[in-house]
Amino acid sequence: MLTSLRRALRGYLFTIAGIAIGVAGIVALGAMAERIVRFIDGGDRFVLGQISVAGRGMGMGAGFTAGGLLPAAAIEAIRKVEGVAGVQPQVMLPLNPSTSQFMTLTQELVIGMDLSVPSPNRHYRTLPVQAGRFLREGDRRKAVVGASFAVSRRLAPGSRLELEGTAYEVVGVLERMLTAPDRFVVVAIQDAREQWVAKDRLLRTVLASGGVALRAQDLNTGAAVGWRDGADPDVVARRIRDQVAGVNVQIPSELSSLLRQSTAFFSALLVGIGLLAFVIGGLSLANTVAAAVFERIRDFGVKRALGATDWQLGREILAEALAVTLSGGALGVLLAMVLGLAIDGWARRSGQQLFLFSPRLLGGALVFSVLLGAAAAAYAALRIVRLSPAEAIRRGSAA
Amino acid sequence: MLPEPVLRARGLVKRFAAPAGPPIEVLAGAELTVRRGELVVIEGPSGSGKSTLLNVLGLLEDADAGEIRFGERTVSTLGRSAKSRERGRWLGFVFQSFLLLPGLTALDNVLLAARYTSGVDAELRRRAMALLERFGMAERRDHHPAQLSGGEQQRVAFCRAVLNDPPLLLADEPTGNLDDANGAVILESLRDRARSGGAVIVVSHRPDAARDADAVFTLAAGKLHPAATRRPSGAGTL
Ligand SMILES: Nc1ncnc2c1ncn2[C@@H]1O[C@H](COP(=O)(O)OP(=O)(O)OP(=O)(O)O)[C@@H](O)[C@H]1O
Ligand SMILES: [Mg+2]
Repeated sequence: MLTSLRRALRGYLFTIAGIAIGVAGIVALGAMAERIVRFIDGGDRFVLGQISVAGRGMGMGAGFTAGGLLPAAAIEAIRKVEGVAGVQPQVMLPLNPSTSQFMTLTQELVIGMDLSVPSPNRHYRTLPVQAGRFLREGDRRKAVVGASFAVSRRLAPGSRLELEGTAYEVVGVLERMLTAPDRFVVVAIQDAREQWVAKDRLLRTVLASGGVALRAQDLNTGAAVGWRDGADPDVVARRIRDQVAGVNVQIPSELSSLLRQSTAFFSALLVGIGLLAFVIGGLSLANTVAAAVFERIRDFGVKRALGATDWQLGREILAEALAVTLSGGALGVLLAMVLGLAIDGWARRSGQQLFLFSPRLLGGALVFSVLLGAAAAAYAALRIVRLSPAEAIRRGSAA
Repeated sequence: MLPEPVLRARGLVKRFAAPAGPPIEVLAGAELTVRRGELVVIEGPSGSGKSTLLNVLGLLEDADAGEIRFGERTVSTLGRSAKSRERGRWLGFVFQSFLLLPGLTALDNVLLAARYTSGVDAELRRRAMALLERFGMAERRDHHPAQLSGGEQQRVAFCRAVLNDPPLLLADEPTGNLDDANGAVILESLRDRARSGGAVIVVSHRPDAARDADAVFTLAAGKLHPAATRRPSGAGTL
């Protein structure tokens, strides 16, 4: 049984190889598209998981944070708004102030989080850690770094990191999320406030003058706000905007559509590449399967001469096509993954990842291959049974 | 009383398109009746249409005109799959070019005759082995056609054609690639089939084939012409 299967597959070696190459092309290009789609989706999930509130300019010019301060009183006011389920004060600072004027997607940021409050973001309750641990309440001078940040600076748990003249211990490295947090440095909010004061000459002057009553807990650049189960986040966000003075509230759905607009071209490009991969890979696969069936047209003519009905023959052709496309498809997936992971091993050294072999891509490529293989085989079978057995035998013998 | 007819063909016409000019009329009103127990030999020069006639009689190709009956049933007007079933029920083929499947062993090629009709069981495997044995092919049962000589392939093809014990055997030059001894074994088995009630149409130029035939026809100008008078039933040599 096994030997006959092996022999049957050996007869199809070239067919299987041809299918494998087509499927490998689909999977490799698809994995690159998935990688970037994940990046865009990750940002989208983040902004849809929380209401982001920033301080509005307070008329004293808070230096590079420009947006201004979100004082403790404002945070208290937000907590009391109906529908709000949790508020986490945050300090967000560009790591390198000289480039801060040009906020970019790939900017390296220091995020100070108030660790006494659980993360209100519904989609990121915790940031997943690949090595070491995440920050705990009471951690000081400790940092958790994003995956790309860690690679580019050769950081691992236990490494030391200098921020504004102060030494920090790296206690954890985040999993690669293929989105913004890959370039974050996360510290306790108290540490971030100290860095902020150290960085910002204007803020120092204001504090020194004593003209404004600022306490440490007033030094926040923004807050992440959660909502109660069942509440509409857009409604809650508008309510905060109406009821709390001096804040900038992002409406989650508006921010999401803004993000989508800014990545629309990119998304379209990727969808195009993915579609092209499927069309080209699919055509090559269909052609290979149909050619493999036509190649045996003489055998099918003989089988019909020996009494095989259309139905018997069609079933046989379909079963063989399924076995062949399945083995070719699996081989193609394997080929693409070996290739992609090898390339990524090289790209990782500069903190990059080019491929994402998601289950939905692999499953989709396999299902697509099998369906297309079956369709191509069915087409070839229909063409063959329309011929008389004598004609099929003649055509097969001439080839 | 004459035995009942197995095959009746009336007014068969078959034309092929020619590369240039008018179509070639290979069959032009051929008529043939074959009864149970008859061995019919068809002769004719190369290109006269003998293989074409067997293809049409065996429902492997539609005639342009004419009618074919197996037993009492008109089969020339049936649909595709119905024709396949009738072929499986009535016919055994020995093709001029053997037409063994390259991916199957000798034994599996023989068993192919049953795969789409009765199905293969242990009894059929025994039958197939016995046939291979009888034609000196038992030792080659696991060989693939590419590993067999032309004559060996021809013997395997013959075993495949008779595995189902078909009421009508169509054999196109079944001894073409065989030496005298092996050819004689095949002819003897054709005669056996006829004696035990089967009908056999064989295309052959061997004199010993014609000698024991119940009827010999020559295909010329698209028609079958009796080449020898019917041998009186039970009579010895002519
Ligand atoms: N598919 C076809 N298309 C066109 N012409 C054909 C086709 N098949 C057969 N012919 C022609 O029909 C004629 C008869 O062919 P056929 O094969 O029946 O001859 P044959 O008597 O079996 O010859 P041989 O003894 O050489 O086997 C030939 O002239 C051949 O060219
Ligand atoms: Mg011929």
